[in-house]
Amino acid sequence: MSVTRRLLLSAVGAALVTMPVVAEAQNLPRNVRMVIGSSSTGGDTYQNASILADALSEHLGVNVRVDPVGASEAFKALARDSRGTTIMMHHDQSYLQELYGVEGSPDIFEEFTVGPTISVNPGNAYLVPADSPYQTMEDVLAAAEAGERVRVAIQPGGVSEIGFTAMRNAARMQAPGSEENIVPVNTGDQADKNQAMWDDLADVINGSIQANEQFTQLPEDDPTAMRFIWITATPETLNQAPEEGLGETDRAEMLTYAAPEVSVPMTAEENFTFDKEFFLMFNSETDPALIEAIDTAMDEIYAEGDIQQRFLDAFFTPEYRPMAEAQEHLQSKNDDYETIISELKSE
Amino acid sequence: MDLLAHLIDPWFLGLIFGGTLMGIVFGAIPGMTATMAVAVCLPLTFSLGLVNGLALLLSLYVGGITGGLVPAILLGIPGTPSSITTTFDGFPMAKRGEGERALKIAIIASVVGGLVSLVALYFFAPVLAQFAIKFSYVEKFLIIFFALTVMAALSKDMLLGIFSGVLGIFLSLIGTYDITNGGNGHTRLIPPGMEYWLDGGFALLPVLIGIFGVTVILEEAELGMPRGQSLKDIEVGPHSRFSFSVFRGQWVNLLRSGGIGTFVGILPGVGGSAASILSYTAAKTTSRHPERYGKGEPAGVIASEAGNNGLTGGALVPLLSLGIPGDSTTALLIGAFALQGIQVGPLFISQNIDTWNAMIAAMLISNLVMLVVMFFAIRWFAMVIAVPKQILYPFILMMCVIGAYTINYGIIFDVWTLLIFGVFGWIMAKLRLEVAPFIIGFILGPAAEIYFVKSLESFGDLAIFFTKSWIAVVLWVLIVASVAGSIAISRRNARMGEPSA
Repeated sequence: MSVTRRLLLSAVGAALVTMPVVAEAQNLPRNVRMVIGSSSTGGDTYQNASILADALSEHLGVNVRVDPVGASEAFKALARDSRGTTIMMHHDQSYLQELYGVEGSPDIFEEFTVGPTISVNPGNAYLVPADSPYQTMEDVLAAAEAGERVRVAIQPGGVSEIGFTAMRNAARMQAPGSEENIVPVNTGDQADKNQAMWDDLADVINGSIQANEQFTQLPEDDPTAMRFIWITATPETLNQAPEEGLGETDRAEMLTYAAPEVSVPMTAEENFTFDKEFFLMFNSETDPALIEAIDTAMDEIYAEGDIQQRFLDAFFTPEYRPMAEAQEHLQSKNDDYETIISELKSE
Repeated sequence: MDLLAHLIDPWFLGLIFGGTLMGIVFGAIPGMTATMAVAVCLPLTFSLGLVNGLALLLSLYVGGITGGLVPAILLGIPGTPSSITTTFDGFPMAKRGEGERALKIAIIASVVGGLVSLVALYFFAPVLAQFAIKFSYVEKFLIIFFALTVMAALSKDMLLGIFSGVLGIFLSLIGTYDITNGGNGHTRLIPPGMEYWLDGGFALLPVLIGIFGVTVILEEAELGMPRGQSLKDIEVGPHSRFSFSVFRGQWVNLLRSGGIGTFVGILPGVGGSAASILSYTAAKTTSRHPERYGKGEPAGVIASEAGNNGLTGGALVPLLSLGIPGDSTTALLIGAFALQGIQVGPLFISQNIDTWNAMIAAMLISNLVMLVVMFFAIRWFAMVIAVPKQILYPFILMMCVIGAYTINYGIIFDVWTLLIFGVFGWIMAKLRLEVAPFIIGFILGPAAEIYFVKSLESFGDLAIFFTKSWIAVVLWVLIVASVAGSIAISRRNARMGEPSA
């Protein structure tokens, strides 16, 4: 083999090796792996990630693949890869679990680059059995004040727990000491929480509009029937949901379960609300130009307007915040919740 | 579009045919599973529409669960976790030249199991779902405990077998007591320095294919190239031929196993593998010849395959009646509904009657397609035995590595898990530890732990396991009967002077 031929073959080989990794046009990787903080393909995280990944793939002309590896493996994968070929999508759980002290949880604001927000799932809710004596959240807080134990089924250490923490905080504000009567029943997934209600192990369960709405439409004598008593989303977010709502529950009815109609005070002036927001995260050493390219692409995608309908069709609220704004917003949310959690912990 | 329109829609039928075929291929390749097949095709369902998308996914599910029987019988490597018990008798049958016969028996048992569960799903889904919610943590723990008692029945040496099973449980608990399962999020049992790798524990599928696949390859490599392993060395004669007479006296076994599979399927969180394990044990402990099990008894293959296909319809009961998936594959189906913006819950069937009918039709057709395709393809499947081992095993090893790497969407430690447990399985055999009880312990250990701890957290004391409900009492009777049966079999075998299966 002559030197020229060898050189030529080497050059072609090198080109073939590097080609799949880096697309020339925008210096973006040709294949992007979007790891998500859930290992389920049936949940809201996967759905939101799929919608965004499809839009990014189409807009940037790169392959964006969603890998539902779960939070722990997703953070590991993101920490390992600074080339920008791995990005992560997750929601408020990613900082809440650190605030709740879940072992092995990173401080995302310190260890990663928090990216733009994508959407909101307005569905986080609390429910009671259809024949429960509690008609409203006021009843729940009053029961705790009267010394009655109220058992709340949650998955500890995150989104499911934050509303429970807010309930305890509100009980403490209403009657100091009564928060001790609001007790957690630590369960696993939604099936476990529902089962805890049906087994009479919980008086209130954490759930969601999407997963539990049909149970609220069952006749009251059905042993699995439930009622919403609190939807934690802000009224601004719910107002962006489709007017017909979901299933048999329209938007107007949903608003009757949310602030300000339902009052769970966070401070003397403000009600507690919680929007479950999805956002991107990047390795902190990833080239800022790559991150900027994705942020800009998202700006353009949302400006085109098609992605909004896809989110709304799946009962999510589109909510793009550019990276800088998103960082400030999420940090502020983190600080607010940190205050409540640490105050309740210190007692 | 009504049901008839779907039934004459070539696209609908084509997707069922293609899905079943692809599912069989996924199930038949060691390392690939029905769950993986569904996961790969899930994103396609958005463009296919709900009914066609579900037809594809359900066919993949039925094909994938069934395809697992092929390597289980021909190679002794379960294609899917739920076909572990098929290896116990299917592989010995293949080794004595009855591979084709075993495959045909397994296929018919699979179809019957699938149809039993489909009937249960179509006519009794809401009733079964209401029954399923009577199973709290306590009853679920007792079901798992019942399945664990199988370890005794499956052991050659009861003491070593139970030790192997407990070792399996122990290793399955390494890692984080995950908050998503209601745990406290703390890690435990991790050797120092391994926290980074082991915080998620050892994943089931890599362990399974390591123990069954890599171990077999290592053992064969150790033997070199002995005679008696190629097609021409396997004695094929009248005993090798399939006849329907093998099912004579097996109808109770078939229906019972299909029923057990369906029943396990309707209980969320119990796990699909328990279906075939329980069916197999029920068949063995009620048999007049339990000593034949584990040595190539067709009734064992029938029980295992009717049981795991019984799961297919059963696991859809809680999904479509409560919005709760019955196993890992049906959990993926929720994604298909979600991507189409369809709610699954107690009103799903009444509000989506067309979709519901189309789903049942898709599963029914898929079962029939599976029967035809598998029967047609059996001769080619059986040729696997004839492939020289030096060609076959590297291919299997490669597929095992790919399967281990992809099962959790690209975690390299899963490949290490595969290799570690491959070597571990090889050492186990040297120490006369037993693989079957070990793997059953490994599969059932995490669920046993969660339900045991949750029962105590919820109800306070151990007495609840005996007093919770009439279901608990019935389960205790079954547990005691299972243990007594195992002891009786062991004693009988001791008297006969030979080890049990």
